[in-house]
Amino acid sequence: MDHVLTWMTFLPLLGAAVVLCLPSRRPGLIKRVALLSTLPTFALGVRLFAAFDRATTAYQYVDRTPWIASYAIDYFVGVDGVSITMVLLTALLCPLCVLASFGIDKGVKGYFALFLMLETGMLGVFVALDFFLFYVFWEVMLLPMYFLIGVWGGPRREYAAIKFFLYTFAGSVLMLVAMLVLYFGAAPHTFAIPELAGRGAVFDPRTQQLLWLALFVAFAIKIPAFPFHTWLPDAHVEAPTAISVILAGVLLKMGTYGLLRINYGILPAATLDLAFWSLAALGTFNIVYGALCALAQTDLKKLVAYSSISHMGYVMLGMAAFTPQGINGAVLQMFNHGTITALLFLLVGVIYDRAHHREIAGFGGLAGVMPVYTGVAALAFFAAMGLPGLSAFISEVLVLLGAWQRHPGLTIVAASAIVLTAGYLLWTLQRVWLGRLDERYAALPDVDARELATLLPLAAIVLALGVYPHAVLDLIGASLGHLNELVRAGAAAGVAPR
Amino acid sequence: MEQLLLPAIDWLAVLPVGLTSILGLVLLALGLFVDDDETLGWITLIGLAVTAVATACLAGQKSITFNGTFALDAYALFFDLLFLVAGIVVVLMSMTYLEGTGIPSGDYYGLLAFAIAGMIVMASATDLIVVFLGLEIMSISVYVLAGAWRTQLRSNEAAMKYFLLGAFATGFLLYGIALVYGATGAFRLDRIATAVGDTPNRTMLIAGVAMLIIAFGFKVAAVPFHMWTPDVYEGAPTTVTALMAVAVKAAGFAAFVRVFLHGFGGLHADWSMLLWVIAALTMTVGNVLALAQRNVKRMLAYSSIAHAGYILVALVASGAAGGTAALFYLLVYSFMTLGAFGVVAALGSVGEPNETLDDYAGIGFRRPLLGVTMTIFMLSLTGIPPLAGFAGKFYVFTAAIREGYYVLAVIGVLNSAISSAYYVRVLIAMYLTPGAEEHGRVARQPYLLTSIVVSAVMTVVVGVFPALWMQLARFGFLSL
Amino acid sequence: MGAALFLLVAALTVVAALGVILHPNPVKSALFLVVTLFLLAAVFVLLEAHMIAALQIIVYAGAIMVLFLFVIMLLNLRNDDPERGRRRYVLRGLAWIGGVALAIELALLVRGASVGSAGSAPAGYGGAAAVARSLYTDFLLPFELTSILLLAAVVGAVVLAQKQRRPTLS
Repeated sequence: MDHVLTWMTFLPLLGAAVVLCLPSRRPGLIKRVALLSTLPTFALGVRLFAAFDRATTAYQYVDRTPWIASYAIDYFVGVDGVSITMVLLTALLCPLCVLASFGIDKGVKGYFALFLMLETGMLGVFVALDFFLFYVFWEVMLLPMYFLIGVWGGPRREYAAIKFFLYTFAGSVLMLVAMLVLYFGAAPHTFAIPELAGRGAVFDPRTQQLLWLALFVAFAIKIPAFPFHTWLPDAHVEAPTAISVILAGVLLKMGTYGLLRINYGILPAATLDLAFWSLAALGTFNIVYGALCALAQTDLKKLVAYSSISHMGYVMLGMAAFTPQGINGAVLQMFNHGTITALLFLLVGVIYDRAHHREIAGFGGLAGVMPVYTGVAALAFFAAMGLPGLSAFISEVLVLLGAWQRHPGLTIVAASAIVLTAGYLLWTLQRVWLGRLDERYAALPDVDARELATLLPLAAIVLALGVYPHAVLDLIGASLGHLNELVRAGAAAGVAPR
Repeated sequence: MEQLLLPAIDWLAVLPVGLTSILGLVLLALGLFVDDDETLGWITLIGLAVTAVATACLAGQKSITFNGTFALDAYALFFDLLFLVAGIVVVLMSMTYLEGTGIPSGDYYGLLAFAIAGMIVMASATDLIVVFLGLEIMSISVYVLAGAWRTQLRSNEAAMKYFLLGAFATGFLLYGIALVYGATGAFRLDRIATAVGDTPNRTMLIAGVAMLIIAFGFKVAAVPFHMWTPDVYEGAPTTVTALMAVAVKAAGFAAFVRVFLHGFGGLHADWSMLLWVIAALTMTVGNVLALAQRNVKRMLAYSSIAHAGYILVALVASGAAGGTAALFYLLVYSFMTLGAFGVVAALGSVGEPNETLDDYAGIGFRRPLLGVTMTIFMLSLTGIPPLAGFAGKFYVFTAAIREGYYVLAVIGVLNSAISSAYYVRVLIAMYLTPGAEEHGRVARQPYLLTSIVVSAVMTVVVGVFPALWMQLARFGFLSL
Repeated sequence: MGAALFLLVAALTVVAALGVILHPNPVKSALFLVVTLFLLAAVFVLLEAHMIAALQIIVYAGAIMVLFLFVIMLLNLRNDDPERGRRRYVLRGLAWIGGVALAIELALLVRGASVGSAGSAPAGYGGAAAVARSLYTDFLLPFELTSILLLAAVVGAVVLAQKQRRPTLS
């Protein structure tokens, strides 16, 4: 398994090159080739999952060669428990999304080539262990996403795409400055994240906090944390189904992943200083605010988008707990939210393809005509609600348990917000699937085999992780324990003298 | 009758400038007999390519000749090759572009060769008089090139404006040289460098340096000496605009860097403050005004102003890191800018410039090659990794931060963010705005498309593997 | 004595130069330029640069100015001012500000400059032989480069002035 991460990352890019060489008058072939190019990465991911050493805190499958020697920049990739979870999530969602995109009929070649480039960018962000490389992949994602929303999106796609681009670019510019300052702070100068660990301590506390905040804004835009969240509903509503899935399933996780990898690892003291307001309080606010906004939505997709904002709040709250339960729960929630929201967006896509609208008020009684669809939808909604036996229950409970020890007041607020969550989800379930059936939709066909193939794997994972969460918890436990210790130790040492 | 003792001459040192001058003469003469524009273009291409190969073969040589006024070193070679390659790309562009414009090819290519000869002189000059002469050879040729399309009113206007303001800048340059001579008693940079420390006429020296900053600032289009740029860039034939934006600017910086980091290196504390302000202004004004443009060619003119600002940041940072970053940035900037103007040229035709954003609507689907390459250039100019523009900005800002110019670096980075807004607008127009249906066949543009593809490939290659090119830039700068 | 003479010639030069830019009639403006160039030649003489002084008169005051006058008379320029209205006053204001700033700077320069005594020039200084020697040794490269410069300028002038080639529109 030499260079396995490199292969996983760049195989989709290779696929993109192949897709570009295919004739555009054979869309069927292009779609199949695109699907084929995502499968090896998935297969390698499964192997990695089996072979991953769950006991060590060290980075595994490390690949390191000098890239730009004069600045000590390396091509440096590797995974620990946190990143492998995200890599698996990405490798899993991408084939499903390609499958879900088979309905695309405009500019097929460009769509799938860009999608495969996007996959390379996302995997690259998760495996990069060199800050510079991380930044490069972070930006590489930007462009395919911009075009995928802007060209293949809904009526207001242009606005949504530009908003997405400008928000993200503004954030990454801040990241660039912070990155350079950290680089020059380290002696010897380096971009390697493992070697930068804790090095933020060479700066005085004020500078550390400034750096932390610069990085935080860059990542908070991706999470998206209030008040940087306004791009998300627009982008989600306009993006095609598969892109919404990727956006909610993977891209949002990059924000919290970046916080754990960069902010926690490099600036532990500032993390402890600032976590209450910027993570715990803001996270709780996200939970309540997202749920309230979701309650008010009339568009099914927008509702799911706001529910994402709400659910990512749990991740932030859990991260700010600095207890094993809290931080484990946060990362588990990242994974669970990835699968559940993906499922929800796919479900929305299914109904949109049939009815060509997403107005909640326009539906009703679908349970009668689409029984299989309704079954999967019910499972997804219950999972999103955090019903016991389904995956999100475990992660939300862990987050709340962990946070209780440190922020009891906020935890009470966050726990109460579950009522709101249940409210908007059950209400939607009732309005769309139960009640009187609209005459227009009496003849809607149920989900076909292709759609089922995109939905069932995710549903199975949601069920499985609800019963056996250790499949993920074992992966992340060692690394997160180590990270948690590092933050606490870094803070205990206060500002380490140079 | 007394014997004149000619100075020792190293003919190899003047080989590049000699070959390009001869090429210019040959082209002027051939222009009288050869009526075929394409043949003349090929001759120019071959001539420049031969010169480039000969120049590349000089690598590793180091000498200084003509009484220490003309240097052959890696620095000069770096720039010589940059000018020659830029020249080759511009000639390729011109071979398509000149068709139907009525611009006389022989004179056009001849003046192009003279302009490049002037640039080469500027890069090699280690003496202020020689800098002045190189700058004038280049400028005079480019003034005429800007006005070469005589049936176009805006081309005439561009030439006139450029000439008048250029002459003004020349006045500043001469005045500056005179003051520096008055203060140090020398034209040669090495003598100036030793004299700046203990001149009794420090005020005069500083005034001279300030005059030189104005003169060079004009040539590289730095704010507030940038007023001519948008009109001239917009009015000149697009190929000449590409030459001005890339090679003329690079030549200006070649002399700027050598004179300031070498000759006036000891005065860094004095001129860096002034340049700091100019750099900040140049980036900000260039980017902010570019936001307001609907004409892509004019927008690129403002963008080229902004990019001069980034290079000035490197100059302010100074030192090995800053100097290397400046050279590297020029290399990177050259390819992406050449390519962008190439696309502008490819979309226009005689009588139909097609330069506004509305004309770009739907181009991404109508002309996929131009769409993809323009996307690469716009993103590279924005500074998105892994394209070359990002590597360039990265080195520049790294150099600034290393030398402690945090505020300037932050201004630069914020400007990068601002610039994304107008570069992305081109992408929006090309891909997201529905365009008119194709009207008629697109003319065949083999040479022009070649030049665009070459620029795009270089933009990607330099971006993904910057180490080698960075090494070249470092090697060049350290040979000063 | 030398200093007094220099100041007198210099002052006259400035007055003549002002005449060039202030006189509304282009022909008279050009004549003022001739005077300026003559006076500059006088300055060169005071610097013992006899050869340059002679060249100044022959080349500039003689050849180039005659050409200037020819062109002005051929074009039959009228003394109208292209900049009118408010813009004109703005530009004038800016010009005044720039000019005053420059004057202040120069004043500072003169104050800060240390004026040494020039001493007496060596025998033959400023003569044709000395200039030629200097031109073909120390300034050999600039001399050669100037030839390229002049060639480029001549070609450029011809390109801009020649009869329009008919566009070969396909």
